[in-house]
Amino acid sequence: MGKMISFALNGNKMAVEVKDHWTLLHLLREELGLLGTKEGCGSGECGACTVIVDGMAVNSCLFPGLEIAEKDVVTIEGLTSPDGTLHPLQKSFVENGGIQCGYCTPGMIMSAKALLDESPNATEEEIKHSLAGNICRCTGYVQIIDSIKSISEGGVEEVHVVAWKNKEKDE
Amino acid sequence: MKQFAYLVPRSLDEAISFHEAHGDRAKYVAGGTDVLVKIKEGKILPDYLISLKHILGQDRPLLNQETGELYIGSFVTHRMIEKSAIVRIHYPILHDAIRNIGSVQIRNVATIGGNLVNAVPSADGAIPLITLDATANIQGPKGERSVDLARFFLGPGLCDLERSEILIEIVVPPLLLRTGSAYIKFGRREAMELPMLGVGVLLSLGESSVTCVKARICLGVAAPTPIRALEAEAFLVGKPIDGGTLEKAGKIAAKESRVRDSIRGVAWYRREMVGVLVKRMGLKCMERIKKLAQ
Amino acid sequence: MQDLKAVGKRIPKIDAVDKATGRVEYIQDIKLAGMLHGKILYSKYPHARIVNIDTSKAKQLTGVRAILTGKDIPEIKFGVYKDNRPLKTGKVRSYRDEVAAVAAIDPEIAQEALSLIKVTYEALPGIFDPEAAMKEDAPLVHEEHKTNILKMPWKLHYGDVETAKKETAYMVENRFSTTWVTHCCLGTSGAIAQFDNTNNLTIYTNTQIPSLAQKDFLSALKAMGLRDKRVRVIKPCIGGGFGSKLDTYAYEYLSILLAFHTRKPVKIVFGREEEFFATSTRQPTIMDVAQGCDKNGKLLFRDISMVLDNGAYTSWGATTPSVMMMPITSLYRVPNVRYEAMCVYTNNTYSQAMRGYGNPQATFAIESSMDMLAETSGFDPMELRRINANQAGDVSPQDFQITTCGLDQCIDEVEKRLGKKTPKEKGVGVGFASLIHVGGGARVYKSDGCGTIIKMDDYGKINLFTGATDMGQGADNMVAQIVAEELGLDVADVHVIHSDTDVCPWDVGAHASRTTFVAGNSALGAAKKIKARIFDMASKQLEAPPEILVMANRMVMVKEDPKKRLEIGKLLRKFHFSTNGEMLMAEYFYDPENENLGRDFKGNTSMTYTFGTHGARVKVDEETGKVQILKYVAAHDIGRAINPILLEGQVYGGVMMGIGYALTEQIIHEKGEIMNPNFRDYKILTIKDVVPIEAPVFETFDKDGPYGAKGIGEPGCVPTAPAIANAIYDAIGVRIKDLPITPERVLTAIKAKKKLES
Ligand SMILES: Cc1cc2nc3c(=O)[nH]c(=O)nc-3n(C[C@H](O)[C@H](O)[C@H](O)COP(=O)(O)OP(=O)(O)OC[C@H]3O[C@@H](n4cnc5c(N)ncnc54)[C@H](O)[C@@H]3O)c2cc1C
Ligand code: FES
Ligand code: FES
Repeated sequence: MGKMISFALNGNKMAVEVKDHWTLLHLLREELGLLGTKEGCGSGECGACTVIVDGMAVNSCLFPGLEIAEKDVVTIEGLTSPDGTLHPLQKSFVENGGIQCGYCTPGMIMSAKALLDESPNATEEEIKHSLAGNICRCTGYVQIIDSIKSISEGGVEEVHVVAWKNKEKDE
Repeated sequence: MKQFAYLVPRSLDEAISFHEAHGDRAKYVAGGTDVLVKIKEGKILPDYLISLKHILGQDRPLLNQETGELYIGSFVTHRMIEKSAIVRIHYPILHDAIRNIGSVQIRNVATIGGNLVNAVPSADGAIPLITLDATANIQGPKGERSVDLARFFLGPGLCDLERSEILIEIVVPPLLLRTGSAYIKFGRREAMELPMLGVGVLLSLGESSVTCVKARICLGVAAPTPIRALEAEAFLVGKPIDGGTLEKAGKIAAKESRVRDSIRGVAWYRREMVGVLVKRMGLKCMERIKKLAQ
Repeated sequence: MQDLKAVGKRIPKIDAVDKATGRVEYIQDIKLAGMLHGKILYSKYPHARIVNIDTSKAKQLTGVRAILTGKDIPEIKFGVYKDNRPLKTGKVRSYRDEVAAVAAIDPEIAQEALSLIKVTYEALPGIFDPEAAMKEDAPLVHEEHKTNILKMPWKLHYGDVETAKKETAYMVENRFSTTWVTHCCLGTSGAIAQFDNTNNLTIYTNTQIPSLAQKDFLSALKAMGLRDKRVRVIKPCIGGGFGSKLDTYAYEYLSILLAFHTRKPVKIVFGREEEFFATSTRQPTIMDVAQGCDKNGKLLFRDISMVLDNGAYTSWGATTPSVMMMPITSLYRVPNVRYEAMCVYTNNTYSQAMRGYGNPQATFAIESSMDMLAETSGFDPMELRRINANQAGDVSPQDFQITTCGLDQCIDEVEKRLGKKTPKEKGVGVGFASLIHVGGGARVYKSDGCGTIIKMDDYGKINLFTGATDMGQGADNMVAQIVAEELGLDVADVHVIHSDTDVCPWDVGAHASRTTFVAGNSALGAAKKIKARIFDMASKQLEAPPEILVMANRMVMVKEDPKKRLEIGKLLRKFHFSTNGEMLMAEYFYDPENENLGRDFKGNTSMTYTFGTHGARVKVDEETGKVQILKYVAAHDIGRAINPILLEGQVYGGVMMGIGYALTEQIIHEKGEIMNPNFRDYKILTIKDVVPIEAPVFETFDKDGPYGAKGIGEPGCVPTAPAIANAIYDAIGVRIKDLPITPERVLTAIKAKKKLES
């Protein structure tokens, strides 16, 4: 059983055949080869599989694949510009220590993006409320909160960029 | 994962006819946050999933200005309820409960209808709605009917729905003046909890703003279904409300509860917490009434 | 201190960009051509005889390529005690026992095949309580072992505890317990095994010990009749370690066996539930602790005995007493120490290493007991600790040589930040606990070494091949920053290659918070060799003796006359493209001068020791028993912060894990069965549970550490539980001696106290 559906993936329109029982996570990882979205539990409890569908963060592991028909799907692969420029959230996670093993990272960033798209000045309270479904075992979350706060509260410029010096010199 | 066909009806009638056609081999699905987990765990093995997502209906809670009734379409997601200003301001008990269901990701897709039909003793949506005296409107092959939500739950995972019936909306009757309501999900951490206990309290005060004219106390995970603590409610009506009366009401409610041991909590502790939390939610109701008056 | 450019800087984790963009490959993401998928059938009983296994139906399923049971495989023994087998024959001893394994063309078919395998069991009485398992008539978990008590040597006695007990002015004696908790790595376990035509093995596996795993797999091949073969272990990016990957597991051997039988690559990846019940836990303990001090508050003795639930098989959990000895003998000055631990087989899950390796359990007991001793003796808890604090220059009863020690500063700092205890708010209290941990390697094996190879190209860029294993903690940064510093390069000039035994030198593994120290020193050693060569070359060009040269900003220059300089790339090209050309490569193997513990468990196991003090201010809800942490301070002496941002990350992550250990986390066992194998009911903390944490660091610049650094991987979660338990006592006067400190336990204690008082 399968149906042709069309949808936009990271801004690119496409049509694919989707089997009825596929989850969106399966479609992305196993059929479309987008491996950035992770599976940590398969049952809605860890957030590693978070992607954005029509502006909303969802657990792709519990999202019926067919339900993305005519919708906009954004995954972690869609955040980086074609020239490699990182999305401000990616940059901030990198610079503020929001990433250790990195397995939770794509999901974290997608949840954070959905939040900031909706309320760009989200407070710490809101950040915690909105990321409660994203588990991280490594960081203790502190630097993840920092990573998001430094964008929501003051714009990217204020992120301390000691680390980036190395790179800038290269250019 | 078990394979199934995913059917997408566009109307209630179509959905019902699909379901009738496939009978026990079919399962309705709304947000799918329960259905898909169960399929993955092999707990249910439907051959057909009938999606209710594409049936046009309300996508947010609506207040009927004339009757004062609040209508919540069954397919409304928790997130829409969480964001509803009407709910936040006038039905804080529902806001308390809904905003802490799962995560944003879950609330973005999970529906209130799914939460009720799923009928687990811990359903966070059920307790506040029972406390608010809500009714459930149901449509099925034989037409429409309504049930009092307090009578909707029959056992763990079991509710008053006949085969092929769909829960279509929840209706909350108008609130009395000077009403406060509050819900607490009691768990071990601050988020992603299935409650060890859910306690909802609603109090309406008389003109003096002292005497209780209506009380509702509803408990989750305190019995095989959500239950009302009727004796505790009766105890409060006609009495001036303060910490002392609420404490006593809490003790009565604790006695009424039929808690048991499970991996999520032991019975003695749950029972004791019923007492503590009924009192606390009662006090919160009073606070909210005061705030409303200002 | 010299002006440093790379060391001490907040340089992002090298692989963070790839991780932020979803580009790194975890085992879940790796697909090899023709790859099959393996699944494992586990026991349905905690203890049973296997009567028959019928695989006939499963074999007929289309897409199934191989089915193995215990009878089909050679005798491969693994685990610390070699008491485990990839597939069980004869009997099963726990629910996680592997009974059969399937390889199929996709995971769904493999799963279906499992459901078609019929196993007939004959149930045996199980034993789930270690103290009961020690009794004469208890059912035996391993008959051939004759008793459930493991023959492990965990027994020491330094000084004379009995005499000290007589001289002691104040003494406390208590029983504490801790339960199973688990790592919860977000990326689940997995492996892909592949043989080439001549039966050399390549295995991609989630491991913290590529070199030791290689050895284990080599002996498996030997058992399979494959002698003199090569094994290449490649560790892909892993979604968390925390000690869980310090041993080899049945699933790795099964992927090897299935790959051998099918001649195809076979991948086994765990689901979340499997990750919960089929990987190992932290070692649960029952701990009897007595301590005493004289009237001046000087500790006179410590007397500790423990019973550890070993579970059905023996992995590193059984050896945690060797690390528990460290705080027992050496946290604070204590002249007379006795310790004994018994590990007991049961039909429960078996334990492994987990962040802190026994130290969190022992420190929970010791530091709770310290507060109780403070109360009994009338000393302020912090004062008692100051009186007994370790000092640089000390040699502890276990012969640990304390080279640098910032314990005093840590105690002061935490006390300062949490404020003096009075005036007291109802239900609010503060509590403290300190820690000692190995900070300069730990000689567990005959070698505690790590190798580094540096290769420099014509443009002054470096490929650095390290034995170190990065699992998210930032090992790659440590070595890159150290090498960049030493050679005056940018960190971006150093490309770190790790975790591939074909390419990288040997290393004993990512354990014991040793990587920064050992791999850091190894990298430094290699960099120094390169530097000497560069100075040699430059000295000819600049006509200046090597002694007056320095490297900075990708240049070699004369220190006092920086205008006399050469760009490194240019210099390298010059020497490469000339007659008898040369290119720069250097290797260095660093094995610290630490000592193996002797038969008496004495020996300076680590080159240096990390110290720290944690403190918590908590508020206890006396009606519900719930504990809220208002503020948490974790101060550490880390020698030198090579990278503060990564350091803080280790501390925050450790502390949150420690708070979970203290308050919410527990694997619930019922007769050997794990009742909560999911994130719903295993209560790892969420972002909403984050508490305000401060993480001050003290730099004591250890003489042996790379740029003065000590290890910090584990300490963050070591003294968390006792700090919180002590704060609870301070708040409401009840002492919780069992982890986790659940609201039920607190409320029970409050009630007991009220009953006593009335
Ligand atoms: C990670 C996670 C966290 C969760 N946290 C919470 C929590 O905190 N509190 C809580 O209460 N629940 C929680 N849940 C459970 C679940 O998300 C909710 O109960 C949710 O509201 C179910 O809605 P749904 O639309 O996803 O239901 P579905 O899965 O689509 O359906 C659930 C059941 O209802 C039936 N059904 C759905 N809609 C209708 C209808 N209109 N008429 C007739 N039958 C219908 C389906 O056939 C199915 O049997 C959680 C679930 C997950 C996975
Ligand atoms: S994988 Fe989807 S929430 Fe964990
Ligand atoms: S960085 Fe490892 S789980 Fe978050």
